Amino acid sequence: MNELEQAGLARLRDGWTSGGAMFEFAPVSWKEAATASSPDEQERRLLAIAAQALDVALRPAAPKTLKRRPPLPVLALPMLPDRLRPALRAALKFAADARLKTRVAALVASRGFVLHPMDWTPAASSQESPEVYAPWVDWQAGADDEKQSRREHLTAETWDDFYPAARRSALVDLRRTMPALARTLIETKGASEPAEVRLALIELMRFGLNADDVPFLKSLSTDRSGKVREMAGRLLARLGEHANPTDGGSEDPTAELAAFIEEGKSGFIRRRTTYAATKLKSPAQQARRADLFASCYFRDLASHFGKTESDFIGAWQFGVDDNADLFLVRMVSVSGSDAAVACLADMLVAAGGRLVLLTLQLMLRLDSGRKRVLVRQILNDAQNLAALNLVDGAEAGWLEWGDLANGKTLSALRSAVSGDNDVTKRSAEQYLEAIGFLANPVTAEKLIGEVVAAGLPPASPSLGLLRLNAALAENPSQTDR
Amino acid sequence: MQLDLKTIEALAPDQASLGAAAKLTKRSNWPRLETNEQLGLIWGECQGSGSNPYRVAFDTRDHGYKCTCPSRKFPCKHILGLMWIGATAPASFARVDQTPEWVNDWLGRRRKPGQQPTQAPASSEGKSIDEASRPDESAPVEDAAAAERREAAQRRRAEDTRSAVSAALDELDQWIADQLRLGLAGFVDACSERCRRIAARLVDLKATALAGRIDELPARLMALRGEERPDAAIRELGKLVLLAKAWRAAPDDAELKRLVSTSETRDQILANPDAVHVESDWEVLGEKIVTRRDGLVSHATWLLDLKSSAPRFAVLLDFFPASAGKRSGAFAPGDRFKARLVFYPSRNPLRALVAERLGDAAPGNWSDFARAGDPLAAYASFQDGAPWLTDCPIILPAGAIALDEKDGAWWQAASDPHGIALPVAGSVSQTLLGLDLAATAALWNGARLELLASQSNMGRLDLS
Repeated sequence: MNELEQAGLARLRDGWTSGGAMFEFAPVSWKEAATASSPDEQERRLLAIAAQALDVALRPAAPKTLKRRPPLPVLALPMLPDRLRPALRAALKFAADARLKTRVAALVASRGFVLHPMDWTPAASSQESPEVYAPWVDWQAGADDEKQSRREHLTAETWDDFYPAARRSALVDLRRTMPALARTLIETKGASEPAEVRLALIELMRFGLNADDVPFLKSLSTDRSGKVREMAGRLLARLGEHANPTDGGSEDPTAELAAFIEEGKSGFIRRRTTYAATKLKSPAQQARRADLFASCYFRDLASHFGKTESDFIGAWQFGVDDNADLFLVRMVSVSGSDAAVACLADMLVAAGGRLVLLTLQLMLRLDSGRKRVLVRQILNDAQNLAALNLVDGAEAGWLEWGDLANGKTLSALRSAVSGDNDVTKRSAEQYLEAIGFLANPVTAEKLIGEVVAAGLPPASPSLGLLRLNAALAENPSQTDR
Repeated sequence: MQLDLKTIEALAPDQASLGAAAKLTKRSNWPRLETNEQLGLIWGECQGSGSNPYRVAFDTRDHGYKCTCPSRKFPCKHILGLMWIGATAPASFARVDQTPEWVNDWLGRRRKPGQQPTQAPASSEGKSIDEASRPDESAPVEDAAAAERREAAQRRRAEDTRSAVSAALDELDQWIADQLRLGLAGFVDACSERCRRIAARLVDLKATALAGRIDELPARLMALRGEERPDAAIRELGKLVLLAKAWRAAPDDAELKRLVSTSETRDQILANPDAVHVESDWEVLGEKIVTRRDGLVSHATWLLDLKSSAPRFAVLLDFFPASAGKRSGAFAPGDRFKARLVFYPSRNPLRALVAERLGDAAPGNWSDFARAGDPLAAYASFQDGAPWLTDCPIILPAGAIALDEKDGAWWQAASDPHGIALPVAGSVSQTLLGLDLAATAALWNGARLELLASQSNMGRLDLS
C-alpha cells in the first residue's frame, strides 16, 4: 500500500468512525474499483477494500518498548519425563495450597527431577521449595540473566552476583560444610545490608551453629536492629551463652517466670523433684506468663531452679496446663541447646498420645532421624494423622511398608475408605496425600492396592501423589532424561 | 465381563435407542475398544455424527456409564452399542492394564455405587432387543413417482432457502450501509444490541451460519483495546460484504453455503467425491471452546499434520448445547494419532472429520518448517483464497513473548527482535516470558494471535 492509499485509508477510517459517506475521499484507484450505481453500494465496496487493506497490507506496529524477560534458567536436575507429567498434574491438582504443591516438587526433586515450568514454578518469596529451584525463585523475583550466568561460588567478591534465594541456598551449603567461611561472609557482607536482610542472614547461623560462632553473635548485641539482637541472643542461648554477660543475663524476668512454676515432689520411695505450672487467676497473668516464656531463655530458667536443661525437662509435669506445656516447648525450640531439644523430642514421642503433637513445635531443630521417629509414632498411634501434614521439613520417600502395616494407620485408612462417613473419607484422602510424600515407591504401590481393595475408587484424585511416587520408582532411561 | 442382552434391554430408555444402538454394533464404527477386566470396565471411541469421535465408558460392575455425545437420552445409543458389543463380541475388546486418563477422570468424579440415588429398577417393558436386531423392513419401497415428488419437493425447498438467504443478504447489506452512515463509533458502543437484531433477522431468513458469526462479532471487538475497535469493525464488516458478494456470485458453492446458511452432514462429506482425504500422523495442537450467544458451545480441536513438509492444519469442529454441560473432547492437547481425515471442500481446506482412526503416533518434534521470514505470509495467501475468513492457523518461527508498557503480550521474532512482532490475545503465563520458543502454532485473526502450542527449549508447551 502506497502513502496516498494509507492517507486515504486514514480519511475513510476517520469519516466512517463519525459517520457519513466517504466515497469522495477515497484514493483514486479505490474509487475506480468501487464505483457503483448506488451510493450505499459504493460505500460497501470501499469498506471491503479497506478491510482487505487493514487485514493484509497493514501490520500491527510493535511498540519500541517491548520488554523481554531473561531466559528461565536451566536447573541442575533433568526435567520430569513427559510420560510422568499427567500423574504429576493430577498430584498438583489435588494439592490444595502452595505448601502442598511445593511438597510435590520436593518429592520429585528427591528422585532426581525438576518439574516443567508450565506445570509449577516456585513463588518469588518461596523459601520452602527445594534448593535446586533457587535460580527460578530469583528469576521470579526479577533476577537478570547476566548475573545468573556469571556466578560460580559464593565469596565476598561474588556476593553481589547472587540473588537472594541463590545466596541463601549457597550460604546454607557453606554453613553445613565450612561454617567459619560462611560466618565470615555473613559478618563482612551482612553489615552493609538493611535490617531485614541482616536478620535473614543471621537466622542462617542456626545451620552448623557451634562455639566458634559465639564472638560474632556476641558482637551483634550492639546491632541497630532489635530483631537482630533478639535472634543473636537466642542463638547464643542455644550455645549456653548470653549476649551481654555484664548484665547478668535476663535474671529478673527469669525469676518472674519461675514464680509461675511450682516445685513439687513425687514418688514414695525415691522422692524426686517435679515442676508444674501454677494455677493462674487472671487473663493478665496468663498474658504476662506467655510473654515471659517467649522472651526468657530456657537455660536460664533451668539454672534458676538449679537444674540442667535435661533434668528440668525430665521434671516438668506435662498435662497440668496445656498452655504452659506449649510455651515451654516453644521456649526450648527457640533457646534450648541441641541436647535439650533432642531430650524433649524423645520424651514427647515416647509419651505418645496428645503429647506427640507438641513435638511439631520443635521441627526446625530436629534432625532427620528424629523427624522419622516422630512420623512413625504418629502412624503407629493413628490418632493424630492430620499432624502428618504439619511435619515441616520431613524428608521425602523413605517410609517403609512395615511402618504403615505394623501400626494402626493401615487399618484406620481401610476402614475410613470403606465406610459411609464422608468426613472421615475426606480426612483419609488428606492422609493418603501426606503418605504419598513420605512413602518409598514400594510402600506407595502397596498402599494404593490396599485402599483400592478397601473400596477407594482406583482413579480417586487423592491417590495422585502415591501414584506419582510409585511411577517415579522406575529408573528412567537416558532417553527420558 | 458380565453383560447380557437382557441388561441392555432393561437399561435402554426406549425402543428407538435400542434400534439406533443396533446400528452401532459394527466393529468399523469403533476405532478403539478396550477393557480392563480387573476393574470391570469397558470403553471405546465411537465415530458419531460429530467430527470428533465420542468417548464411551461403561462399568460392568455397577452399570455406571459415560459418553461425551450431547444426547439427552440416558444411556445414549453409544453406551448401549458398547454394551451390546461387550455382550455379543467380547473378543473385540483389547485387554489392557492401564485405563486412559479420560476414563480415570470419569471414575474419579462419579458417585460411588452406594451413594447413588435409589432408582426404580429398569424395566424391559415395551422394549425388545430382538426387534431392534432385525433389519428395518418397515420402510416402504419408494416408487418412481414418489421419488420424483420427493426430489421436486427438495428442489423447491432449496429454491425457497436460496430466495430467503438472498433476502437476508439484502438486509445485511442495508444494515452495513446504515452502520457506516450512523458512524462506527456508535456501532462499537452499541454493537451487542445491533448485532443481535440483525442476527435474529438472518435466522428468520435461513442465513443461520452468518447469523452465528454476526452474533459473535461484539465479543471479538470487545477483546481488543478501545482504540483498535473502529479498525476491527471495518475489517469485520468488510469481510461480511465480501462474503455476501461471493455467495451471490456462486450460491451453490459448498464453502459459501456452509458459511452463510447450513453445513453438510457427516455422511454428505464422506460421500462427497470432491472432499480431500489425508492419511497422516496428527498432533492435537490445542482446543478452542467458546460458548456462543445463541446458546451453543463451539468446540474446535486444531490439528497439525506431522508428515507434511509445509504446515498443514485441520480443525475438528463440533457444536453442542451449552445446557448439556461441560463436555470433554476426544483428544487432549499434545495427543498424537494416525488417522485418515476428510476435509470439507473449501478454498483453504481446514475443517475436517476423522474418517478413520489408525492408532497412536510416536512422540517427537514438529517438522522443521518454521523458518525465519514473514510469519504472516501464510495468512496473506489464506486471505487471497478466501478474504471473508477470519482465523488462520500459522506456524511462527523462533521467537519469544515480550510485554509492552500496558503488560500486553507480544510474540517477537528471534531473528529480528526490533522488527516483526504480533500482539497476543489475552494474558499469558509469566513463565512463558522466560522461554525461548523454537516454533509456535497460533491462530491469527488480523489483530491478535491466539497461541495454541509451542516447541521450546523446555519441550512442548500447551498454550491453548
